[in-house]
Amino acid sequence: MARALSLYVETNTFLQKLDPMVKLLYILLSILLPFLILPYRVVGLTFILISCLLLLYGKVFKKVLPLLGFSFLILISIVIIQGLFMQSNRTPAFTIDGLTFYKEGLLYAWTLCIRVLDVLLAFALLVLTTRPSDLIQSLVKRGLSPRFGYVLSSALQIIPQMMSEVGSIMDAQRSRGLETEGNLWTRLKAFVPLIGPVVMSSLLETRERAMALEVRGFSAIGKKTFLFDTEMTLLDKILEWVLGILLLISIIVRIVWL
Amino acid sequence: MVVKKTIVVENLKYRYPNTSKLALDSISFSVDEGQFVGIVGKNLAGKSTLCEALVGLVPHFYKGAYGGKVVVDGVEVLNSSIGEMARHIGIVFQNPFTQITAAKLTVYEEIAFGLENLGMDRVEMVKRIDYVLDLLGLYDFKDRNPFELSGGQMQRLAIAGIIAMKPTVIVLDEPTSQLDPQGSEEVFKAVQRLSKEGVTIVMVEQKMEKIAQYADKVMLISEGKMIDFDSPQKLFSREDLENFGVEPPVFTTIAKKLNVKDETTGLYPVTIDEARRLFSL
Repeated sequence: MARALSLYVETNTFLQKLDPMVKLLYILLSILLPFLILPYRVVGLTFILISCLLLLYGKVFKKVLPLLGFSFLILISIVIIQGLFMQSNRTPAFTIDGLTFYKEGLLYAWTLCIRVLDVLLAFALLVLTTRPSDLIQSLVKRGLSPRFGYVLSSALQIIPQMMSEVGSIMDAQRSRGLETEGNLWTRLKAFVPLIGPVVMSSLLETRERAMALEVRGFSAIGKKTFLFDTEMTLLDKILEWVLGILLLISIIVRIVWL
Repeated sequence: MVVKKTIVVENLKYRYPNTSKLALDSISFSVDEGQFVGIVGKNLAGKSTLCEALVGLVPHFYKGAYGGKVVVDGVEVLNSSIGEMARHIGIVFQNPFTQITAAKLTVYEEIAFGLENLGMDRVEMVKRIDYVLDLLGLYDFKDRNPFELSGGQMQRLAIAGIIAMKPTVIVLDEPTSQLDPQGSEEVFKAVQRLSKEGVTIVMVEQKMEKIAQYADKVMLISEGKMIDFDSPQKLFSREDLENFGVEPPVFTTIAKKLNVKDETTGLYPVTIDEARRLFSL
C-alpha cells in the first residue's frame, strides 16, 4: 500500500473552511510586511506568533514540528556562518573555544531566522488546512490557469511521495551491499548511488502522471466545473478585503517613507 | 446491418524524436464498435506506441515524425488535441500509482477529475461517479485516499476515472503487469463488465490465456509492423508465433504438442473450454 500524499489535515475548524485565496493573501502579507514595515523583526515575530496561534487553533501544530525540526538545522548554520564570518562583523559578542561571534552577524542571522520561520509557518498554514482541490478551484475561479493550481498543490504533496521513493531505493541499494549508515564519509559515498535512481524515477513518474492528466482532459478547452462548488462566505470576503487593504497601505507607507 | 468502425488506422508510421528507426511502420487496421481487441508482441515491439497513437499522445505529447491517419470515433487524432480526444478515447497505463492525479483526497473526487475538466454539470457528474463506483466495485472505498488503495484497487480506480468520461474506446496498456494475481483478476473482471456494456476495448497484455478468453480479435506486432490481426484461434494457431516472441496460451501449446485440432476449423484450442471439449472427444 502506498503512502497518502496529502499534507492536508481534516479537523473541521473555521480555518479549513476559509477560502484558500484568503490564506494565499495571508502568505503574501507575512512575506512582504517584514520587509516593508519597521521595525522589521517585530513585524516578523508578530506574524510568527499569529501563525502559531492559528496553527494551534486549527489543530495542526503537531504536523509543523517536523518541518521546524528540519529548518532548525538550516537556521543554526545561518547563525554560525553569519555570527562568525559576516563581512561587516565589528563588535565581539562572545567567544566559544577561541571562535568569536559578532553582534552584527548574530543580529542579521536573527533577522533571517525570523523571515524563514515566518514564511515556513505561513505556508504550513495553507498546506495543512487546505484541500488541494479547493486551492485549484479557488485559483481557477479567479481566472488563473489550472496548471498553476495543480503545480502548487502537487508540488506540496509530492514530498511524502519522494520520501517513500527514497526509502524504497535505499532499501534496494542496501540489499545489494551499499553502506548507508556510519560516519559522514560513508554517508556521502552512499548519496551518489542513491541520487541517480531517485531523480530518474521521479522524472519518469512525473512524465507518466503528466500523460495520465492529459488523457483525462486536463488541457481540454472550455469552462471547467467542480464537484464541490463552494462559494465565498461573508467572512471570506471581509478577510480578503482587510488583508488586501492592509497590504496596499503597507506598500503606500513604505513608498512615502522612502 | 452496418457496424460502425470505431477505430480506423491507415498506413500509420511514427518515429520518436532523435531516433532513426520507425517505432510504428505502415500499420493499417480497423476495429468495429463494441469489439474487444488484444494486442500482443514482445517487448519494444511497438504495442505501447500504438496505444499512445490511438489516444493522441503520439504525436501531440511525444512529437517526432508522424505519417498516416488515425481516426477514433470519427475524429482524426492529428487534428485534435489530447484533451479533446479524451471525450472519445481513454487510456489506462501500466503503473496504477502514477495515474492518480495527486490533486484529490478521496476516490470519489478522483473520479470527478476528468469530468470537471470536461466541464460537466454537477448532477450528471454525481450520477456517473455513482455508476462507475458500482460498476468497478469501488463503492466501499469512495471516501478513502486514492494512495491508500491496493494496486488492484488503484488500477480499478484509474479505469473508473476513464469510464466516467464515457469514451467510446478504452485502451488498456498492460494494466495488470504490476499487479498480483488477485489484483489482475479484479481488473480483468472489470474490463469484462465494460466489454459487456458495449465499450470498445483495446488491450495490450502478456497474459495470453486472458487475451484468448476475452478478445474478439488479436493483433500481433513485431518491430513496429503489424504481422497479423485475426481471431484468437487463428492467430494463436500460427506455427511461427514463437518467432515473434509470443508464447501462445498454455492450452494451445499442449494441443500443438499433441496435435489436437478442431476438425472443422483446423485450429488449435485457445481457451480452457475449447481445450476441454477437444481433449474429451
